Amino acid sequence: MKGPESIYKCIAFVLTMAAVLCSCKPSIPTDYEEVSWSAITSPDNFGATLPPNIAPLNFRILHGDATEAITRLHSKQGGEIIATGWDVCFNVDDWHKLLDQARGDSLFCDIYIKAYGQWVHLPTQHFIIAEEPIDPFITYRLIRPSYVTYEELTLHERSLESFEERVIYENMRFEDSDQGQCINCHMPKNWNRESQSQFHVRQALGGTVFINGDKVRKVNLKTDSTISAGVYPAWHPTQNLITYSVNETGQVFHTLDPQKVEVIDYASDLILYNIDANTVQHVEHTASDFESFPAWSPDGLTLYYISAHYTARADNIDADLDNNYDQLHYNIYARSFDPKTCRFGPRNLVFDAEAIGKSASVPRVSPDGIHLLFTLADYGQFHIWHKSADLWLLPLGTEEERNAMPLQAANSPESESYHSWSSNGRWILFSSRREDGNYTRLYISYFDKQGLAHKPFLLPQRSPLHDLEMLRSYNAAEFLVQAVQPTQRQLRRTIKGNAIPAIYAGSALLNPETVTPDTRTRSEERRSESVGY
Amino acid sequence: MKQRLPFTLAFVAFALILLLGPLRPYLVETAALTPFYADVPIGDFLGEPCGLLLYVSAGLQSCFAVPWLGVLLFVSALATVAYAVRWAFRINDAWFGICWISSFALLANYTQLGYLIYTIKHPAVAFAPALGSLAAFALIGLWFHLQKWWWKLAFLLVTPLAGFWLLGFFGAMVTPFVGFCEMGIARFKQFDGISSQKGFTLRRLFSGNDTKHMLWGFALFTLGMMLPALLQVVLHRPLNVEIGHIPFSSLNRDMRLPWVIALAVPLFYGAIQLDGKRLWITILSAIVFVAAGVATFTYSFRDPNFLNTLQMKHAAEAGQWEQVLQIAKDSKQEPTRAQVCLTRLALFKTGRMGDELFAYPEGSAPYKAPQNQWLRLMIGPLLYYHYGKTGFAYRWAMEDLVEYGERPAYLRYLHRVARLNGEEALAQRYEHALSRTIFFRHTAEDLDLCKVEAAAIRPLMNYTNQLDGDNGLVEFYLLNSFALSEGGSREMVELSLMDGLITKNITGFWPRFMALLPTWNGKIPVHYQEAALMIAQLQGSAPTSEIPIEPAIGQRFQRLVEVSSRMGDNASNALALQSEYGNTFWYYYFFVEGLKTN
Repeated sequence: MKGPESIYKCIAFVLTMAAVLCSCKPSIPTDYEEVSWSAITSPDNFGATLPPNIAPLNFRILHGDATEAITRLHSKQGGEIIATGWDVCFNVDDWHKLLDQARGDSLFCDIYIKAYGQWVHLPTQHFIIAEEPIDPFITYRLIRPSYVTYEELTLHERSLESFEERVIYENMRFEDSDQGQCINCHMPKNWNRESQSQFHVRQALGGTVFINGDKVRKVNLKTDSTISAGVYPAWHPTQNLITYSVNETGQVFHTLDPQKVEVIDYASDLILYNIDANTVQHVEHTASDFESFPAWSPDGLTLYYISAHYTARADNIDADLDNNYDQLHYNIYARSFDPKTCRFGPRNLVFDAEAIGKSASVPRVSPDGIHLLFTLADYGQFHIWHKSADLWLLPLGTEEERNAMPLQAANSPESESYHSWSSNGRWILFSSRREDGNYTRLYISYFDKQGLAHKPFLLPQRSPLHDLEMLRSYNAAEFLVQAVQPTQRQLRRTIKGNAIPAIYAGSALLNPETVTPDTRTRSEERRSESVGY
Repeated sequence: MKQRLPFTLAFVAFALILLLGPLRPYLVETAALTPFYADVPIGDFLGEPCGLLLYVSAGLQSCFAVPWLGVLLFVSALATVAYAVRWAFRINDAWFGICWISSFALLANYTQLGYLIYTIKHPAVAFAPALGSLAAFALIGLWFHLQKWWWKLAFLLVTPLAGFWLLGFFGAMVTPFVGFCEMGIARFKQFDGISSQKGFTLRRLFSGNDTKHMLWGFALFTLGMMLPALLQVVLHRPLNVEIGHIPFSSLNRDMRLPWVIALAVPLFYGAIQLDGKRLWITILSAIVFVAAGVATFTYSFRDPNFLNTLQMKHAAEAGQWEQVLQIAKDSKQEPTRAQVCLTRLALFKTGRMGDELFAYPEGSAPYKAPQNQWLRLMIGPLLYYHYGKTGFAYRWAMEDLVEYGERPAYLRYLHRVARLNGEEALAQRYEHALSRTIFFRHTAEDLDLCKVEAAAIRPLMNYTNQLDGDNGLVEFYLLNSFALSEGGSREMVELSLMDGLITKNITGFWPRFMALLPTWNGKIPVHYQEAALMIAQLQGSAPTSEIPIEPAIGQRFQRLVEVSSRMGDNASNALALQSEYGNTFWYYYFFVEGLKTN
């Protein structure tokens, strides 16, 4: 072959091959049979209402007797994506184009499978695409559904618009053979609008880490007058204040019950931390009541929290509560707050769970201040291990309007627990163990203007097998409108340093209550500050 | 070649005999403790330093589940290391024995672990050092064999980053070492000229031909690989083995010395004037080879209690309870509590507990390892699972999975308990995880064994759930939990009866005994007859006529009462009566004392 001629032939060959490859777009079978049996997919997200900016909902088709599969995702406007194979993974850009087209409408999914030599078309499935977008980021901790030991713990930030995930902080760098390092509760202020958030570091180099833009500082919130460092946080929406529960928590194990673990508070109070003044004040401080899980109303004038009255039956609290763990019922209470004086008013009962033989936990007020979302189970407050735990909604109107109802569409026979509202109040992110009763996964449900939840969808993953294969749980997830600023290196530098000790400044109540000294005994080896929710 | 073959054959034979002989159960256990999943995407393990080495090593190490296959791979890797040393450092055949120092050290690095295999957080403690060393020596060999400067430049550019990323510490060491060699060898050559006035020793140490320098290089590089581990000894501070997966860090302190001594031979070869004395070199190198072999054998953890426990555990997991009892019977030394627990479980499973329990060896031999909850780590979930304490079986399997990784040994019990609890979706999750391994799919797929086990365990789950904790004291918890329990299935009542006898708590004996009496159909197990006689005697009465005591047992008891009343103190009685009564409950009750559960 002569030189130039061979080059032209080569170019022609390459172009032909490229054209052939480009034309290999999978096509829908023309000859198929309609069947009535539904598609079995994992995860099963069909019928859910999706945000218009969510990442692709990839899935696996589970039909063991079929040999081939073709999936067509399409909108009324004519856009479509066609995918072949059992693992249906959509291109992120194509998916978003299709979602844009279907915004405020529906997306349809046709699955064709070839079984026994014949193509069949399964009934068309659909997604509803909402008008309102979802916050672009969430943060969470990944943890084994463990008991006492822990090893690798990671705080993550995940984009909801794609599959991008980054580690905000991981604990192994400072762990040594003598002492591990536990991290938990990354909590942003106002969905991280002002780039403020916090998380706890326990044991090695312990303290609470406060992030403000790219500035980081570490504070020791434990004082001689409080029973522990801060545990469950609630940022005040307008002031530089955070309310925490302080808890003496222990874990005890079921010998037979598949619920496996009970996490019990043997003592708990509430404190208010003033970030600017670096002071800690008691909000609740009684031995006979266990308070936890504080939450502010969006106007910052009311603090909600849970509280259970404990009547001692024996001197040893551990033994007493281990035997009567199912007798602790938490109600939801509220205290008014004056931001000018930073004083709390008297305590009011908001939801009497005990009266219906139940126990409430994790109250969270919607951004419009109209609804209080909480978890309700048979007893206790650590509902992630309680199969009876469901999401409930309480309208925060007048007393007559306060008729709590289960969030039916979001609940399952397994535990639903930790939840948070998106910044626009249209999306609820919550954890559920509905897959297998043990591993916590994140679900997102649309919350419409009528106050109804829609069928939730599982947090999208690049691989449809991700949730089956990952032997870790999602923990304490929160929405963010913008990413967390500091790098791991910045966080490590601060964590490596000393914690600034917080100063105790008495009670934050307008009329402080008299505190009776706690004379009950605790088993020393059972004391611990917190357990990952 | 003639000189290489005997060394090679000797090493291979030695390693095969050691690994496939006494250490076979250790290999099988190692495989169960190796977290390897065949379908991990390439990006996942290439995404972190040393990921490739660890992934490949874990894959090969999981082959220990089929011992001959795993050993074949392991020994091949170790033998190749010796040849890589020879090639890399151009060591002539007379010195070939020296080349095996690393191979022996790598073998010992694994075989001396014993109980520590449970607590070392390394996914491939046997293969990763072997393959890492092999790759490092091969890279050094490549460097020395590169002729063109541009190839050397490419090597220097690529190896530091790619070597570290793919091989971790092993890869990271190569570039500084070759740089050192390039500078150092040139420097050593100058010693011939300049050091003659400075001192005899230095000149003899550093001067010389290329062979000496290459031997030096080998010794220095190997010592370099051991350096972090040696620093660990000097600093008296354990290094985290996960960081860079440091080679030889699992060698215990005593074990490091032989390799340092062995490496002193090539290191100080310059001081020994053996140039041209090939026979003497061969002899010296053979001595080093034999010494390394002896050190490896000496330090390999061949504790019979440890290996017997593993054998008993594997037999129990296969449902071969008679085999468990046979191993217990054949054991010649005082058993550990783990062995005693497995024996009791096997006796319960075979229905022979009431007749033979006190006839089996009793003891509380210490575990030859630093203080830890070895019983719990080795067989905790197994015992809890088979005794129906499913909450605790699941808990400890999960705690260990959290601490030590997703090892098939733990997934097995997580899966079994989920099945037993009727948690189908959870069981499928673990089944899927096990199906991703190469050699442990069967543990989830053997439904017949699962069913047989479940049928035997379910009667033991007939109790009221409660909140509890065991503090990791498995035997203590199990004994007390049954000894203090009331009611339940026939199997539970029998365990209550027997554990009451074992804990010498005889208060609940009669109600349990009478509840079980109709189920024995007139043939009361021997130990329960013994207990009935003794307890009745202690209570100042005799068993009623409705309890059919065999005449021989009654006469034996009477003889014991007569003999012991004539004898002296408890210690002398124990000694005198052991041969005749050592297999009875009476002897256990009066003379067996000071046993430490767990």
